[in-house]
Amino acid sequence: MSTPSNLTAADQAANAAALSYPSPLKEFWQSFSANRGALIALIFFAALVLAAILAGVLAPHSPTEQYREHLLTPPAWVQGGSLQFLLGTDELGRDILSRLMHGARLSLMIGVVSVVLSMLPGIVLGLLAAFYPTWLGNGIMRAMDIMLALPSLLLAVAVVAVLGPGLVNTMLAIAIVSLPSYVRLARASAMTELNKDYVVASQLAGAGKLRLMFNTVLPNCMAPLIVQGTLGFSSAILDAAALGFLGLGAQPPLPEWGTMLASARDYIDSAWWVVTMPGLTILFTVIALNLLGDGLRDALDPKLKKLA
Amino acid sequence: MNFKMRNWVLGSAVALLAGTASAAGTLIYCSEGSPTGFDPSRQVTGTDFDASAETMFNRLVEFAPGSTQIRPGLAEKWEVSADNLTYTFTLRKGVKFHTTSYFKPTREFNADDVVFTFKRLTDKNFPFNKAAPSDFPYASDMAMDTNLVAIEKVDPYTVRMKLKAVDAAFLQNLAMSFASIHSAEYAEGLLKAGKAANINTQPIGTGPFVFRSFQKDANIRYDANKDFWRKGDVKLDKLIFAITPDASVRYQKLQKGECHVMAYPKPADLKAMQTNPKLNVPSQPAFNTGWLSYNVSRKPFDKLEVRQALDMAINKKAIIDAVFQGAAQPATNPMPPTQWSYNKTLKDAPMDVEKAKALLKKAGIAEGTEITLWAMPVQRPYNPNAKLMAEMIQNDWAKIGIKAKIVTYEWGEYIKRAKAGEHDTMLIGWTGDNGDPDNWLGVNLGCEAVGGNNYARWCNKEFDDLIVKGRSTTNQAERVKLYEKAQTIFKREVPWTTIAHSTVYQPMRKEVQGFKISPFGLNSFYGVSLK
Repeated sequence: MSTPSNLTAADQAANAAALSYPSPLKEFWQSFSANRGALIALIFFAALVLAAILAGVLAPHSPTEQYREHLLTPPAWVQGGSLQFLLGTDELGRDILSRLMHGARLSLMIGVVSVVLSMLPGIVLGLLAAFYPTWLGNGIMRAMDIMLALPSLLLAVAVVAVLGPGLVNTMLAIAIVSLPSYVRLARASAMTELNKDYVVASQLAGAGKLRLMFNTVLPNCMAPLIVQGTLGFSSAILDAAALGFLGLGAQPPLPEWGTMLASARDYIDSAWWVVTMPGLTILFTVIALNLLGDGLRDALDPKLKKLA
Repeated sequence: MNFKMRNWVLGSAVALLAGTASAAGTLIYCSEGSPTGFDPSRQVTGTDFDASAETMFNRLVEFAPGSTQIRPGLAEKWEVSADNLTYTFTLRKGVKFHTTSYFKPTREFNADDVVFTFKRLTDKNFPFNKAAPSDFPYASDMAMDTNLVAIEKVDPYTVRMKLKAVDAAFLQNLAMSFASIHSAEYAEGLLKAGKAANINTQPIGTGPFVFRSFQKDANIRYDANKDFWRKGDVKLDKLIFAITPDASVRYQKLQKGECHVMAYPKPADLKAMQTNPKLNVPSQPAFNTGWLSYNVSRKPFDKLEVRQALDMAINKKAIIDAVFQGAAQPATNPMPPTQWSYNKTLKDAPMDVEKAKALLKKAGIAEGTEITLWAMPVQRPYNPNAKLMAEMIQNDWAKIGIKAKIVTYEWGEYIKRAKAGEHDTMLIGWTGDNGDPDNWLGVNLGCEAVGGNNYARWCNKEFDDLIVKGRSTTNQAERVKLYEKAQTIFKREVPWTTIAHSTVYQPMRKEVQGFKISPFGLNSFYGVSLK
């Protein structure tokens, strides 16, 4: 091979500029922001996070204060409502807006903690299964198969029944239930990477197993895992709400969304807002997270990326 | 099951369409759950009694509809000896047992049936009990197994019962569902055939309705008993219990005419029901009390100051507004005001947060002390939403620096653990069984009942002496004095915070005539008809 030598220095510089890629972050943002749904979801989610963090400042009332002379006040825009309680009050006279904002804290915390709790061991187990495919890998994968054979909510209920109801145990239960998807994903993508030349090359260069696992292979498997994490976030919120609804999650007076929904069920005929507000909040949050996950997948997966 | 349910719903819809036009003799009652069986001797809940004792059986004496007074039932009259220990019943003649596909009676009701029924309740070695082993919880709660020492047949229509100790409420107890009279002939046949257990699944009684079929969680069907001994009390042709556990669904069915009467409405729905032109919602102050028990066998509830402090921190008025939607009256005594011997002079300690804090300080309770507050998982007549009530009490107690953790278990487990005394404080209640004051004070607060219904595990010598004396006295004026004094002691010692006596609402369609609300929370269809 010979390099062309008849090009001038200026030409070379111009070529370099044309060929240079945008920074990975910028490239990611470009393809992500092209997806309008994902963008709206991101904005909604950012607002939710902000509301959760600043709930102590923004919320008009304490989430557990019972205004007993204002039981079941309708939302402000409905006749009989008052500006004091924008989204109305529940059966004990607690401000629904404040409860939703404080509940966002709980739900987001449940989401983050349970995703982290399942993602980290999930990745480790998945990589181990990929690197030692004979007995260890088989053992791990069969265990995951057994967990997948049980309906996830049932398994979560069983775990909570054993550990006892409460917020921490709810997060643990959700983490345990969502473990198999991370393990399988991590193992599958690690196995495809393992046969690639760059892995062989670094192996030949003398990289140890640990370095291969976490420095060489893992970064190249992260895209699907991040997407799964986002989707897992939404299902964690949904599962926590389901457990709360069944009375197994957060215990009163904690304003958890699912628990709010459960206690509001009795008023579905007479006071629609008590059940509608937490229901819509859960709905929008989960939709937003799913759209976000979709957007991330589109932006991170090179196969789906638009050819420029 | 689903398939069957759907079939049934379709079927009943068709039946209704056809039924409204012509013979309007089928009444559908939306009940709240499946009975565990049809043998009233061994049952304990209102759901079971509605389906068996109230529909298919009779007692020697019975409660007049809508009242706590007794009237003659299968016994036409009775005599009590001077020492109040011997009761002689003269039985009604011409009473026929039900004729069904599984039993054809060859004789009418007589003394043998009464002897069989009570031997079975009181004698563990009775042959039938060996063939179909069972507990008879109500009979033992009423001390019938130990106190009823002899049941004799004097002649075919006379029975004599002898007691060991005077029991002022004995006749009232005989009117309770568990004392329903079975057919001795039928039981003998079952025993011979080796099918004694069938007494719980294929019932035979003398009552106004005859058992036809039962599908768990779907329906129970009855035919009218055309030979019922009290003429004119059976005006329906058929009676169907449509089992509908969800209160909202029951209401929807009632609105759409899929049932005529419904059990246990949700307080939140009452306003809409009362304005619905198709419905009647008669109501009556219920014969019940809902309360909060303090477990005095655990620290720090053994201290009177602690109980007083917790008691005066609770805002009863707010609870009645939010939990009962106003459909209740605040309770001061363990028994409702309609119970004779209710002590009118007693008053609640006024709500006072500052005083409560001072009392806690005096008792040496630090701020932030954690206790458990148990809330039952089911809707009861005396407490339509225990969880909600618990959240309100939790909030009230937080104001005096007590942190309550709300605990709940499945209903059976709840009662079991509470009887074992695992709770600090718990929500519970009672619906009167027989209209006797001992049924409130003795059963729920007596020393004997610790480990049983006495969830406060409160055994006060002074109080217990009074109620034991009250039980063995038949002079009502004297009993009133004893029980009024006992209530004063109760109020002084605060083993409970009494919360409310609820109001019972019985929503039904306008075409239902003659339905009477039972003070005991049972649903019976004597004398009910459809327009």
